[in-house]
Amino acid sequence: MSGSLDCSHVRVAIGGDPHDLGPEIREHLVGCEACSRFLNETLALDGRVRSALELPLAKFRKPVQAPARRFALAASVLLAVLIGGGFWVFRPQSALAGEVVDHVRHEGGSWGAHEVLTPAEVAEVLQKAGVNFDTSMPVVYAMACAFRGHRVPHLVVQTSSGPMTVMLLAHEKVSARQEFSADGLEGVLLPAGEGAVAVLTRNGKVPDAIATNLVSGVRW
Amino acid sequence: MVGPFARLLEMLRPDLVRFAFWLARDRAVAEDVVQETLIRAWKSREELKDQAAARSWLFTIVRREHARLYERKRLPTVDMEDASAVADPALASDGDAGLDDLRRAIMQLPDEYREPLVMQVLGGLTTTEIAAELKLTQPAVLTRLFRARNRLRVIYGLTPAEDVE
Repeated sequence: MSGSLDCSHVRVAIGGDPHDLGPEIREHLVGCEACSRFLNETLALDGRVRSALELPLAKFRKPVQAPARRFALAASVLLAVLIGGGFWVFRPQSALAGEVVDHVRHEGGSWGAHEVLTPAEVAEVLQKAGVNFDTSMPVVYAMACAFRGHRVPHLVVQTSSGPMTVMLLAHEKVSARQEFSADGLEGVLLPAGEGAVAVLTRNGKVPDAIATNLVSGVRW
Repeated sequence: MVGPFARLLEMLRPDLVRFAFWLARDRAVAEDVVQETLIRAWKSREELKDQAAARSWLFTIVRREHARLYERKRLPTVDMEDASAVADPALASDGDAGLDDLRRAIMQLPDEYREPLVMQVLGGLTTTEIAAELKLTQPAVLTRLFRARNRLRVIYGLTPAEDVE
């Protein structure tokens, strides 16, 4: 024991928050080797606890990529707007395309899905988002993702041109078909009744026939 | 505001998923909680005046959405001794057995100890913020955090400190 505080109370304070100790605790630590050792042990333990809490998200259903590349993406989107000369006609639609790309890039693991989901699994996701969607194409990934304040079905379908990401955007409007391209992703935003559909691929352009087929299956 | 805010959400999402997982101890529930959190955060984005406070703000929303989900769906809570929860592959590290043990030990902490610990260590919330969120006094939060760490000391091969009333 050292100073006016009891060692047991000092250790409760250390165990409560080893990174934020008051002056009285610090004063006690100067003269108490046992409590100083306890603090060092607790700080070491805390480092391990932090590592333990930082779970590897690759083992979760939705792998998340490192955020650093996002800035490069944002820059490339901006550059495309600036030099594309009308590639995206309206600023809000440009922002929409950019956020679609952003979202898809952050769910990079979705492209690796191969197992075909059952109709019930797909229906559950669509129901969460309040959207109806009929397609004969196999769906290998389905999540009701948060996007611009709404639940949005984020699907990956297997097509004759490879896997394509489909986002059914019930709350977004686009006035006309818009193609976009960013960092290896080619996509198209399509008007679909009161909403919009985004289709993206990593294998060249989205074929018109596939895009049309996908849009025809949507009912809001 | 919209673009930067969307980016902020995406940037913090990994830790939100982790936090939700430690609360729910179920990956599917954690994903659901985080999606609801992101929607609620988006709708309330004008409330966030200081981006530096975004992390604690979002953690608070996660916690509330988690509670709301259980109220709304009356989900069964995960039993502390539930072997399937403790054996979740998300807890496995790459060859660090000590870390695996620690994760399982955290998983098995009672909610009242695990929750403030995760809020503090992962969320970076202060004990004052945790006390406000859990509707406890600050000394009560400190005691819970002390007890959480005390239990983990044993797993880490350290002698636990004497408990206090």
